[in-house]
Amino acid sequence: MNPFDCSGSPRHEEPADGRCPWSRFTSWLECVCVVTFDLELGQAIELLFPPDVKLTEKEKTTICYLSFPDSYSGCLGDTQFSFRLRQSVGRRASRSREDIYNRDAPVTLQKEVSHFCGYVYFRQVKDVTVKRGYFQKSLVLVSRLPYTHLFHSLLQIIAPEFFEKLEPCLETVCNEIDQWPSPVPGMTLNLPVMGVVLQVRIPSKTDKPGGSPVRQTSSENLLPFPTLLPTVHELDLFRSFQSVLIHLQMLWELTLLGEPVVVMAPSPTVSSETVLALVSSISPLKFCCDFRPYFTIHDPEFREFTTRTQAPPHVVLGVTNPFFIKTFQSWPHVVRLGEIRMTGDLPKQLKVKKLSKLKILDTKPGIYTSYKTFLHKDKILVKRLFKGFQRKRPSEVQSAILRRHLVELTQSFIIPLERYMASLMPLQRSVTPWKTPPQIRPFSQDEFMLTVDHTGPQLTSGLRGDWMGLYRKFFKSPNFDGWYRQRHREMSQKLESLHLEVVCDADLVGWTRDKSEVEIVDLVLKLREKLNKAHRQQLQLKDGVSDKLETFILSIIRTLPGDLQTELRTH
Amino acid sequence: MSVRVPAMSVLPPVRRDRVIVQLPQYFRKEAALHTKDEFHNKVKTACQEQRTGTVGFKISKVIVVGDLAVGKTCLINRFCKDAFDKNYKATIGVDFEMERFEVLGVPFSLQLWDTAGQERFKCIASTYYRGAQVVIIAFDVNDIASLGHVRQWLEDSLKENDPTSVQLFIVGTKKDLSSPAQYSQIEQDALKLAQEISAEYWAVSSLTGENVKEFFFRVASLAFETNVLAELEKSGSRQIGDVVRINSTSSNLYATPKKKQPNCCQ
Repeated sequence: MNPFDCSGSPRHEEPADGRCPWSRFTSWLECVCVVTFDLELGQAIELLFPPDVKLTEKEKTTICYLSFPDSYSGCLGDTQFSFRLRQSVGRRASRSREDIYNRDAPVTLQKEVSHFCGYVYFRQVKDVTVKRGYFQKSLVLVSRLPYTHLFHSLLQIIAPEFFEKLEPCLETVCNEIDQWPSPVPGMTLNLPVMGVVLQVRIPSKTDKPGGSPVRQTSSENLLPFPTLLPTVHELDLFRSFQSVLIHLQMLWELTLLGEPVVVMAPSPTVSSETVLALVSSISPLKFCCDFRPYFTIHDPEFREFTTRTQAPPHVVLGVTNPFFIKTFQSWPHVVRLGEIRMTGDLPKQLKVKKLSKLKILDTKPGIYTSYKTFLHKDKILVKRLFKGFQRKRPSEVQSAILRRHLVELTQSFIIPLERYMASLMPLQRSVTPWKTPPQIRPFSQDEFMLTVDHTGPQLTSGLRGDWMGLYRKFFKSPNFDGWYRQRHREMSQKLESLHLEVVCDADLVGWTRDKSEVEIVDLVLKLREKLNKAHRQQLQLKDGVSDKLETFILSIIRTLPGDLQTELRTH
Repeated sequence: MSVRVPAMSVLPPVRRDRVIVQLPQYFRKEAALHTKDEFHNKVKTACQEQRTGTVGFKISKVIVVGDLAVGKTCLINRFCKDAFDKNYKATIGVDFEMERFEVLGVPFSLQLWDTAGQERFKCIASTYYRGAQVVIIAFDVNDIASLGHVRQWLEDSLKENDPTSVQLFIVGTKKDLSSPAQYSQIEQDALKLAQEISAEYWAVSSLTGENVKEFFFRVASLAFETNVLAELEKSGSRQIGDVVRINSTSSNLYATPKKKQPNCCQ
């Protein structure tokens, strides 16, 4: 955020510690909106905090449409769902790649760079005091953080209260959020709001994937006693996948490969939960394609995604509007979910159907695809989950089993790649102070494939099938590209750190002794540039490396003639 | 435009009160799509001889548009659910109802698209309008302004369609709230407008149910008639059914598409 922009709203009091108003708030949320269904206009933003939040008109309109059901709006009561929207073109991209949070957070929980996440609490109830007798309003949290569970829990606390008391209540909540400590990976934080304290642990990159996230660590005496949220982001995977459990392997592969998938659901809630569950199913791998938990025909990308002139894009879309049945007829994979009845029975498992069957309007639930999985499905897992359901095993436990299975599957797939990638790193002894850091060897798919026979996924996974075929297809997907770039960046940074460390340990003063002025100035400039870059990229260096180099630069400058000294200091 | 339903799709039987055996009559002779007493002869013969081709498997798309709060959802709910709620909530986006009929012994479905009337909806709504066979523009007979906006709704809804292939209806709603004198005044204007834009005019009350069923039966019948005539025209000199009749005494056309889809059991 521009430091000169922090005038904030006049009504938002300046915090006592002299911080910019809203600065802590913006580390959690972009803004809070109240969207109403105006009887004359339609969807319209009624309230916005912070009032001067920088959203383009297009972004505001999109938020409006995504905050309401776009079809079958008959649902009465309270409904919660999530959406994701692309930020407008021309907006300055946030520099999150170099953000400390993103450096330390798991890749799947990094802040969005060019999208916003929206978390909606929609209320539609009879209300005799308004014209036409219905209250139709949504409270929406917009954030760059994919903390689905935290934000929906927050909405459950604030939305009912807000709908009763309206504006003043929301302002108080925003002020409270502006007091929250910023999210720091690995930290357990207490977040007070409306008389309760939410305690959450922000996951860190160094957490063991699949480990239990619930840990009560704080022994502080907090009054009121904090409400522990077991997770900021995890979903009820079992609930989301309950009617497609037998196709889990297929869905995992489709997600891994970044295949175009449309989820047609009976409500925005089911649509968004399913899409988010799909995307999270390949964790700890980051899903690098676009995905929209709830997509409507009002979306600015409607034409882009539905054009027939090119192959369907690598996106996962969740929709509710039957209008889309026709639009997405030519898509390769369509998951059509039915109404889920709460009868205590496990919902009927969807069947795989031919795509040509999708050409009718009242199509039945099913997965419409011609995709054949590379790996065989894990029948034992499915049996275990079915049995667990019959024995009334709690949904959280079922979800944990499911999550563990998926994490192990993804890791089995990715570990051979990690191992091969690590072998591309130059030897540590080839990093010397007097040369530029060595290059990382290029990734060769063929060379990698040769390693699969001996050190492939069969070492950690019992699943049989065509792993090679799966890798080959994966290499063509944006998820591979994203993973490779991320790893490559990390390795380059590691090399850079190592280089700085050996430079630091080298006898630089000794080197300068018989060197010309030009060479010394060149060394100073190069070192400075390296340090700046390290600082910008938040490189993690051994203690003292940075200080020692700074001191060296200063002392070396002091040995130079006076005019050069001034020149170098002002630079 | 209509969408083909494969012959094998198992649909529930048509409700007995959705069976049409005779052409329902227009509401006002001055503004009717046509004023014949009966279904077109060709259509009757085709139905008798079961030469209606794929019409029986088609779903006609009907969109209902009009100003906000004129009672679009109430009109649809009265017909499809036989229910009326005076405080009906504003429709957000679009809702759908599927209504199945049997016309002259042939199954025929209307898919009714109920839309929001709000300003914000208009800019995007044209996407929904594409491929509509019937456009119903509703207005409130107690609100002259809503009648005034009919032309705009017409223009919007025809942008995405071939104007010559769309059947147009103008429906005055909330007739129960209007006195006879008031009503006859607005009816004059409505009839004039309907004639100008070649629409059929109706006036209904969703509260009392007056004319609601008659109206939708008329819509279904005219849509059906048009579909069968189009089908007959398409087959031209090579009359549909003929080929089958030579080889088969049962002359049941519905059975023939089955052969083309041998593996479609679900």
